[in-house]
Amino acid sequence: MKSTIARKTVVLLGGLVLLVVLLGVADATLNNYYLRILQLIGIYIVLTASLNLTNGFTGDFSLGHAAFMAIGGYTSALLTMPLAARALQLAELPVWFQEFVSPFPLATVLGGILAALVALPVGLVVLRLRGHYLAVATLGLLIIVKSIASNWEPVTRGARGLSGLNAETNLWWAFGWAVITIFVVWRMVHSPFGRSMIAVRDDSVAAASRGVHVFRIRLVAFIMSAFFGGVGGALLAHQLTAITPPTYSFDLTFLIVIMLVIGGSGSVTGSVIGAIIMTILPVILRDLERRFELPGVSQIIIAAALIAFMIFRRQGLMGNRELHPSTWFMKKPATPASVDAPQQ
Amino acid sequence: MRNIRFMALGVSAVMLLAGCSAGGGGGGGGGDSDEIVVGAVYSITGSQASIDEPAYNGFKLAAKEINDAGGINGKQIRVAFSDAASDTTTLTNVVSELIENDGAVALGGTNDSTFALAAGPIAQAAGIPFVASGATLPTLPDQVGDYMFMACYGDDLQAQAIADYSMEELDAKTAWALVDQAYDFTTALNKFFQERFTANGGEIVLEDSYKSGDTDYSAQIARLQALPTQPDVLFVSAIPNEAGIITQQIREAGLTQPIVSGDGYDTPLVAEVAGDNSKDVYFSTHVSLESEDAVVQDFVAAYTEEYGTGPENAFAALGYDTMNLIADALKRATDDTDPAAVKDALASTQDLVAVTGTISYPEGSRKPSKAVSIMRIVDKVTTFVKVIEP
Amino acid sequence: MTINYILQQLVNGLALGSIYALLAIGLTMVYGILRLINFAHGDLMMLGAYVSSIFISATVVPILLAVLIPTLLIAVMGLIVERTAYKPLRGAPEVAMLITSLGVSRLIQNSTVLALSPQPRAFSLPGDLTKTVNVGGIRFTQLDVLTFLLVIVLMVLLTLYINRSKTGMAMRASSENLQAARLIGINVNWAIGAAFVLGSALAGTAGFLWASRYGIIDPFMGFLPGVKAFVAAVIGGIGSIRGAVVGGVLLGVAEIGFVGFLPPEFSGYRDAFVFSLLLIVLLVRPNGLFGASEVERA
Repeated sequence: MKSTIARKTVVLLGGLVLLVVLLGVADATLNNYYLRILQLIGIYIVLTASLNLTNGFTGDFSLGHAAFMAIGGYTSALLTMPLAARALQLAELPVWFQEFVSPFPLATVLGGILAALVALPVGLVVLRLRGHYLAVATLGLLIIVKSIASNWEPVTRGARGLSGLNAETNLWWAFGWAVITIFVVWRMVHSPFGRSMIAVRDDSVAAASRGVHVFRIRLVAFIMSAFFGGVGGALLAHQLTAITPPTYSFDLTFLIVIMLVIGGSGSVTGSVIGAIIMTILPVILRDLERRFELPGVSQIIIAAALIAFMIFRRQGLMGNRELHPSTWFMKKPATPASVDAPQQ
Repeated sequence: MRNIRFMALGVSAVMLLAGCSAGGGGGGGGGDSDEIVVGAVYSITGSQASIDEPAYNGFKLAAKEINDAGGINGKQIRVAFSDAASDTTTLTNVVSELIENDGAVALGGTNDSTFALAAGPIAQAAGIPFVASGATLPTLPDQVGDYMFMACYGDDLQAQAIADYSMEELDAKTAWALVDQAYDFTTALNKFFQERFTANGGEIVLEDSYKSGDTDYSAQIARLQALPTQPDVLFVSAIPNEAGIITQQIREAGLTQPIVSGDGYDTPLVAEVAGDNSKDVYFSTHVSLESEDAVVQDFVAAYTEEYGTGPENAFAALGYDTMNLIADALKRATDDTDPAAVKDALASTQDLVAVTGTISYPEGSRKPSKAVSIMRIVDKVTTFVKVIEP
Repeated sequence: MTINYILQQLVNGLALGSIYALLAIGLTMVYGILRLINFAHGDLMMLGAYVSSIFISATVVPILLAVLIPTLLIAVMGLIVERTAYKPLRGAPEVAMLITSLGVSRLIQNSTVLALSPQPRAFSLPGDLTKTVNVGGIRFTQLDVLTFLLVIVLMVLLTLYINRSKTGMAMRASSENLQAARLIGINVNWAIGAAFVLGSALAGTAGFLWASRYGIIDPFMGFLPGVKAFVAAVIGGIGSIRGAVVGGVLLGVAEIGFVGFLPPEFSGYRDAFVFSLLLIVLLVRPNGLFGASEVERA
């Protein structure tokens, strides 16, 4: 047993070193355009893996992820905005605030924390619902947050949005947060807590009767998901350097949901695969659009592919299995997700 | 343990991207000496399409005319384009792609200030000049930096023009304002209009709002009608999609005051949607396409021949002017392969005769001061009223 | 605030609410049986508006055809969507169907963009139907009145149909319990098909009415009204035709009232208000006004 743990640690560290080397190589060789796409992959991994906590693991299908992203994005943007841009855009805010510029890492975390804080009361309310009703209620949350962003002029500047941010998001932040998100989500899922989550998803009545605090489990998952949603929103804001209410639209939520279901909700590695595929596929399709001058076709292909996926492989590429290269050279570890679940 | 598989995926992703860069798109590295690559940043799908598509057509038309006339300094212009799809993430990717992969020496495009604020800094950081076609935020060049230029006037100019016109020619003392909260352009236009109107002694009796995409304005209109005294003019700050439907609903409700607005009203949709109700509408815009001016008439004729329909709106002319602004700078630049030289040439643009008026950049400014055209719609027909010089 | 102003806002609300009601009927029937929030429902309305616009531009065709043809075509379209996209998902988790319907919605929107154009298009109905009448200071159009009457008549007819006819009974049995209905030999697919055909037909009609009322159509016009109509169906009590109509009308009146009776600064929160209403209804009275007990709660 001891040797297994040691070997796991070695593999883990080796993996991290390999990632750092690869990112270093990419950073040194790729041009800004490809770095941009790679950064997006990192950001989408954060978003998809965190959405998986609710939509995949506790089975609470949320359409409100972009709402938390917006909270994280706006919060961090307000905190990091350079003084020059601030004087121009935020003249109505109190003076102490106009002089306080937060470093990017702190702003990212604070964005996540604020999203989590909002998720607490929201979760207490909407998690009383399940299934479709929860989906529509969280969609409502997104629309409400967007309305606030569009109308709260002194802080969000309404439709004009916040611009002139520094392009702080780089390869290291994007993938650093991706690794942290994966690590946290993985630890949550492969713990007694995670087994409770899956029990809640598969049969909440049975779980409750076995003493699982169903509501608390769902609430914690919802809040954690919101935290990383907020972080992802902050990373995106500092990649784009200008955000407006439509930046965090229903389209964005929908994109993350597609990434999740294509990868396989209920699988952490699936989220990663889904995020990678659905970042690169639109880029390739846009290239085809460009070459054959057929604007709009990529949207149709993606929508049609999604429908086909739901019909022929609705469990996603990974289902709720995990990709385990470590099993190539050691015996298969037990995945709690393999508790036979008919859902997804 | 688990991270290794992400590394594996990371590897494949990196390799895939590297493969893309080696294979696709990478061909046009900008090194060819017989062509000059100019990037066009427009959204021909999504919410921006109705104004960006004509602008992109105008942009291409200008490039074609230049090439047919022998190109610039003996080189042909290649317009590099990829659809920005009215989405900020895609837009920023596209700008980066045009700079890095296509090797564009200058960029032109966007008719939306918020998009310009996202696209501009990428070009600024890469040291590539960017000419905004129709993004009318007056502070845009100052906010982005010395590589950002505007082909159009700022909203302050057109809002002041229409406010002055309302007060001087329409004898307005009081106004009602209806504002679309969803756009930068509409909120800014409203702000500048109200500033000018009240500064000159006018009064805004009520400001009401809506959000682009709303289709029912009955509540706002009923509130307007419930006012104790009716305002002299109705100022509507709307984008083209809603301009017709708002006019229709205002007139259907029996209100007859003049409706005044900015270039958001420069769309055939006003006459088409409002039909017989499209009367007594005044708006400011970049150019009157009905103008007798030879430059305008030539442009309209060329556009009609190329695309089978006349220019849909003034944004077509702005796209055309954007390309010509860039071409003029390329001709004058000390080195047409050096973006910094092109930037310097752009900054010293003087008296360039363009469809939307003569363009000069005053010393230290990258925003032209141009004339504003006031147009009037009477019974479905748009007519030119007057030009207001800055 | 005069009584006239209040009545005017009420009439405006009724006119908007009637169209929500038409859409909500279709959504509630489908949800009742399949537990599917059909996000593509509003997009079917959009298609109806486009089909309709073809026929009003040909002046020889009377207006009746401009209503009937889209109604029939969209009914068929709804059935095609059901059979190709939703039927293969029978027995799948409800979330799978929800995602599929989002996919269908996107597919319809973007295909329309590609096939026609992203540019909005004017839609003007010839004749007097959309001319304003002024009765005692209250303004509305003939079409508003016709829409409202149509909704009431349809509500009565459909309720009768569902309670009395064989298909209607099959639909009711299927919405009680799909599996049990299948076991006792009810042709469940027939019942589902009927719900889609009827619902989509109404969406087609709604497309004509929406376009006539607002005079402009574009490929993305349907999504938000579709989602709002679902809110209306929830308010009325999902699965109930009467509930859908009452919910739709109430939502229209509430939405207009929110904009009309609060200070103008609040107008921008219109959609937020609609969804806040939804949240309140879900939490306080999850079965809506007329719904059977069904909401899944933790």
